Amino acid sequence: MRLTVFSTRRVGWLVAAALALPAVSSRASVDDAHSFALEAAEPYVKQGYQIREDYWGGDLGATEKKAVRQQLFKGNDYWFWMGTEVEQAKVSVHIYDSDGKLAEQTDSWQKGHFAAAHLVPKATGSYFIIVTVDSSSEDRTHWALVYGFK
Amino acid sequence: MRSFFKLTLVGSCVFSLASAQAAEVPKHIDVKRLSKTVEDVVVPLPNEIFGALNKLDSVNWKEFVRTNKGTNFTERPRIALLLGATIADGFIAVQAEDAPSVREIGQRVVRLAKGIGVGNSIVPHAKAITEAADRRDWVEVRNELDRTQNSVQQAMNEVHDEKLSQLVSLGGWLRGTEVLTAVVDRHFSVDGAELLHQPDLLEYFQRKLANMAEFHVPLLGQIRSSLVEVKPIIETDNPISAASVKKINQITSRLDEGIVTRLQ
Repeated sequence: MRLTVFSTRRVGWLVAAALALPAVSSRASVDDAHSFALEAAEPYVKQGYQIREDYWGGDLGATEKKAVRQQLFKGNDYWFWMGTEVEQAKVSVHIYDSDGKLAEQTDSWQKGHFAAAHLVPKATGSYFIIVTVDSSSEDRTHWALVYGFK
Repeated sequence: MRSFFKLTLVGSCVFSLASAQAAEVPKHIDVKRLSKTVEDVVVPLPNEIFGALNKLDSVNWKEFVRTNKGTNFTERPRIALLLGATIADGFIAVQAEDAPSVREIGQRVVRLAKGIGVGNSIVPHAKAITEAADRRDWVEVRNELDRTQNSVQQAMNEVHDEKLSQLVSLGGWLRGTEVLTAVVDRHFSVDGAELLHQPDLLEYFQRKLANMAEFHVPLLGQIRSSLVEVKPIIETDNPISAASVKKINQITSRLDEGIVTRLQ
């Protein structure tokens, strides 16, 4: 299931019109979460990390997790930064290798509605980045995940 | 980071777990419970791979800067593929620190984007690329190339041209893979060849191509069948051999030739 705001195109004008308002609202909130993820990433730009324009986002209930599968390359140094606009929320992000083994560096961190995971891959291949809303004052909490590399 | 608006919301590549144990980070997870699909993966930038390659060996990037200005196409899928390959060329020119080529590629990207109806969204980026190249600010040029690709794809998505947007990514990936294999083929190393271990990306592109039946472009059929050929070579758990690197280079060079010329 793809959750972009553009996914209503096949269901006709009326349904599209009915869905348009909540879609716009949802988009705005994920954009807010994205801004916070970028805020977490910002200090790392000075350390030479290139932050990607593309990002992942969505919403989760408290204690809910999601996974993103991403191709990473041995020789690079990666950070993944997660953020949400819900300041009372606590979020976390962790990286696992393709065998499901926790792979991140020990300087990965979590601080309230920001979290980050650091990886220097030992092998080129797919990794799982698991994002979690550990707790939140909201039923659904928007989140965004950006990554950078050097 | 100027564009905060592209939503690459995870869908099929995400999964929901039952309640989490937030306090303790599990040292191991059962990956078989995760979806195998790679929907909405963020396709790596060419320089993400080139950077890793640079750390293994010194590369004469100037050899790989393309001087051919490309063909003018009218078929939108072909323009999209060429646009992706041209943006990848931009990253190669940056690796070579070749300011005139970067400027020329920036203008070419604008022309191609106009041909596909999304030129307006990237004119500011092309200007920024030119200015940064003049200052030889390569970090900024790399960032602007990423923004350019992101803006093009965002503009395509907004007019429901997601499939063309995927072809932009595919064109870039093919050109990047062609250059990666050319570099590794010349100075083979196991670590260099390992950078080709990208089975999920390949599967991602195969899935997207399988859903493009409406594009009656023979080149897309050739790319589909070529990816079938490449897949077992890079899916292996064993080290990727020099012969495999050469074979992938031949395949991707042939496809890239098809992307930039009217022969197909």
